[in-house]
Amino acid sequence: MSGESEKAVFEVPVGPQHPALKEPILLLFKIEGDIIDDVMARPAYTHRGIEKATEARNYIQNIYLCERVCGICSGIHTLVYTQGVERLAGVEPPPRAKYIRVIFLELERIHSHALWLGVAAHELGFDTLFYYVWRDRELVMDLLELVTGNRVNYAMSTVGGARRDISDEAAHQIKKGMEIFRRRLDVYTGVVEKDPTVRKRVVDVGKLSPHKAVELCAVGPTLRATGVKRDVRADDPYQAYDEIPFNVATYPTGDVLAQIMVRVMEMYEAANIIDYALDHMPKGPIRTKVPWNIAPNEVISRGEAPRGELFYYFKSNGTEKPERVKIRTPTLANLPAVCEMLKGYHIAEIPIVFASIDPCLSCTGRFAFIDERHDRSWVWTGEQLRAYRRRYYKWQNR
Amino acid sequence: MMREALGVVELLVFPGFLFLSWLALYFEWVDRKFYAKLQYRYGPLYTGPKGFLQPFADFVKLLAKEDIVPAAVDRFLFTLTPILMLALAFYALFYVPIVPMVRNVAFGAFEGDLILVIFVLTMVGFLKFLAGWGSTNRFSAVGAVRTAFQLLGYEIPLAVVLLTAGMGAGTLNISLIAQKVASNGILASALLPALAISIVCFQAELERIPFDIPEAEQEIVAGWLTEFSGRRLALFRFATDLELTLAAALTAALFLGGPYGPAIPLIPVQVSYFLWFMFKTTVIVMVLANIRALFARLRIDQMVHFSWRHLLIAAVAEAIFIQVLLAAGVIA
Repeated sequence: MSGESEKAVFEVPVGPQHPALKEPILLLFKIEGDIIDDVMARPAYTHRGIEKATEARNYIQNIYLCERVCGICSGIHTLVYTQGVERLAGVEPPPRAKYIRVIFLELERIHSHALWLGVAAHELGFDTLFYYVWRDRELVMDLLELVTGNRVNYAMSTVGGARRDISDEAAHQIKKGMEIFRRRLDVYTGVVEKDPTVRKRVVDVGKLSPHKAVELCAVGPTLRATGVKRDVRADDPYQAYDEIPFNVATYPTGDVLAQIMVRVMEMYEAANIIDYALDHMPKGPIRTKVPWNIAPNEVISRGEAPRGELFYYFKSNGTEKPERVKIRTPTLANLPAVCEMLKGYHIAEIPIVFASIDPCLSCTGRFAFIDERHDRSWVWTGEQLRAYRRRYYKWQNR
Repeated sequence: MMREALGVVELLVFPGFLFLSWLALYFEWVDRKFYAKLQYRYGPLYTGPKGFLQPFADFVKLLAKEDIVPAAVDRFLFTLTPILMLALAFYALFYVPIVPMVRNVAFGAFEGDLILVIFVLTMVGFLKFLAGWGSTNRFSAVGAVRTAFQLLGYEIPLAVVLLTAGMGAGTLNISLIAQKVASNGILASALLPALAISIVCFQAELERIPFDIPEAEQEIVAGWLTEFSGRRLALFRFATDLELTLAAALTAALFLGGPYGPAIPLIPVQVSYFLWFMFKTTVIVMVLANIRALFARLRIDQMVHFSWRHLLIAAVAEAIFIQVLLAAGVIA
């Protein structure tokens, strides 16, 4: 023992491969004893070049590409993309299409939050809750399959409207499913709120103050869990959200319990939205025609993904292909906040605190160079990338 | 001559090494299957009837896998710990009455074997620490330190409640305690709180939820086990199964009378021993599995806090309670 003055700091890398992480990210922790002193996050192990690829495809082909940015929030990506293209072209989708979009978006929110609740339980070592929640998540997955024909990539939204209608029979099934799901959700809310071992692990863990959360540009449930009422659906209503009454769920404490409770409340809220939308769906067509070529224009499109605000920027140049599509996914916005949340807590809390932002890392990889010493940053053009590729493979096959 | 031959059979076959190995794999199967059922899963399914042979298949598979020894590990500890842990778990089981054949008590029974078994239980925990420490891996080191902390938490309450049973029965011979508990209903009921405490302590000893802190998968990969693979991992897993067997058999013996129980008519006494033992231990393993399905994992400081604040006090209170009953002459 060399005395208190000397800090015994050691580094623990979590990732890119680690059982707590479902996708690759490197979190480099500086640990002092058992307490996290500092953390550095390095995402972008899965750079897929989707933004670049959109420039080589036309607006219809890009729907399929954007649908695959994220496996869980595939619906909101398609919606925000098609919504942006509609704004570029200056067309308005028919009212019934807007309601259909809202219904499957809210179904997606439920299945995403249920998935997250299961993962959070697993990170706490509570595997029983994990299996139960995922079993009931299947209920929603089946409904999605019933309505859209798919479990993951629904392909419901297209430029100019929706691709499939929701029949009365399907609407009835959805309502019945929501009734069952609400009852199951009551059980899980009780478990999370009352179970002593769960409470011991989530109350006052990973705290974030509302001031800090806003300062670090946190979005979605992570922000709302600190008590800040901010939701794109309410603040900047898109689709049919301005016609549907709903509450923005917030929880004041800012710890992991708050994150869980906000998501649980959002699941209830989503079930209510679905019921309301099914009851008030206007009759009529579900799709309008949109021209192939879109005049030069610049728009942004936003939506509230299950993980927070999803942001798309579009620039068109008069052809059938976009000039630029920029995607900002919510996980990227939440990374600074989660690094702040982790500081000062135990090693044992790394998984649950990191999982509490519902990280979805494969959408997060971007490509830019930053030279910290010379304070420079730059990007490569496609030609420079290709040149690098040639050099790299030449070096590999030398 | 006949007696000696029977002794050899008792050592090697029944209830010796062969039967104990079968028992360990059987308990792993019960544990996994019941745990899975509680979680709406199937659990082991394909190997053997209802997946009964799955633990054995897993063991053989692991034996055949590549056994990697990282360059930086302490080779001596890395090789010694799995073997010693397996040997110790087997060793302790010979002092616990399972199905007494020749002497009507456990194979190695002597006055004071309870102390020896408690010592072995501590040694097993300590070996886990050494195994993790010798791995020189960051996750292993964290896991090893957590094992040591956990040992500090559960060991003393466990020793107190196990010795309480001895106090109640007036002997430190596990087999004699079991006989006394089986024949004395008042003692058996007075020991029920001790049974509950020992089950919680064994859950911690076996590193199972909510006390699976030293090998918390989501936090530190596999904790002290991280670097082990192939044969060494197979031995560790088998040793853990034997530890589960030891926990179930010891709890059954000290608090529920082990293999001794009311004679079942029309069958030989050894068969009734077997049936009673299997019944009691299977129920205990199912209770252990049920606890595993009920909770989330605690943090290490919460676990030690819980042990010293609640478990130890409960254990000491139980010991005082038994002493008072003894002094009052309630327990004959």
